[in-house]
Amino acid sequence: MNSQPLMTVRILAAPRQKIGAIPHGMRSIVPVIGGDFEGPRLRGKVTPGGGDWLLLRSDAVLELDLRVTLETDDRALIHMSFQGLRHGPADVIAALGRGEVVDPASYYFRTVPRFETSAEKYAFLNRIITVGVGETRPDGAVHRIEEIL
Amino acid sequence: MTSCPLMTLQVLVAPPQKLGAVPHGTRAIAPITGGTFEGPRLRGKVLPGGADWTLLRTDGVLELDLRITLETDDGALIYMTSFGFRHGPPEVLAALGRGESVDPSRYYFRTAPRFETSATQYGFLNRLIAISWGDRRATGPIYTIEEIL
Repeated sequence: MNSQPLMTVRILAAPRQKIGAIPHGMRSIVPVIGGDFEGPRLRGKVTPGGGDWLLLRSDAVLELDLRVTLETDDRALIHMSFQGLRHGPADVIAALGRGEVVDPASYYFRTVPRFETSAEKYAFLNRIITVGVGETRPDGAVHRIEEIL
Repeated sequence: MTSCPLMTLQVLVAPPQKLGAVPHGTRAIAPITGGTFEGPRLRGKVLPGGADWTLLRTDGVLELDLRITLETDDGALIYMTSFGFRHGPPEVLAALGRGESVDPSRYYFRTAPRFETSATQYGFLNRLIAISWGDRRATGPIYTIEEIL
């Protein structure tokens, strides 16, 4: 598989809104309050206002469904969304739930980000398939995103 | 980023239903009439009845939105969806449009498949992120699908 680094996105999150048991599983919503991103071709800030609509499925897999807006250092706006999956050994997931720092190699946290922008300079983002390797942090998450070539 | 082979999937398509200009672009629906898949951990056939809801955007990118059902050789059903992009130089896309064989390295055709199944022997499919490389043939595409590890 051929890929190249696109960017690392650091998401800062507010406390979860725990919706609780719903027909598809356990729903909680994580508001995004900021963050930053940096890669060879783009860098900037994560704007406040997005979120990650989490669903813990009955098979213990956490489904992620994130929508955020990125603002580049030259003021272009980029809509980023992803769907993803997070799962791992019960003790590791429990430690993450307690807000502990855990080696991301000890669990599976992968996403498929998509982008939309009207800025010509960043229009390549509208046409690429990407994969993110995620890491849950006490204050949010870090996603290392690669472009699939 | 590391990955491992999941399967090679060949789908057979009927002539597209050309809906023409819709608010998001040019819509064409390609019914899937069958096909086969094979990988180290699963193999079988594609059931007729799915389709690829393609949308040609104004920026020349073809969005793919496939939904099919796979049936393994031991009788399990697997629901597969796949969102992706296809784009390339105009002369290459024109040749594909005429049904000619084109070296797939001359255009970008990548998708992100997802799977759902209740079969416990294939439950790993519910928990993985995957990427595929497409090769558009006259009878339908061939997807080389890798699991992101």
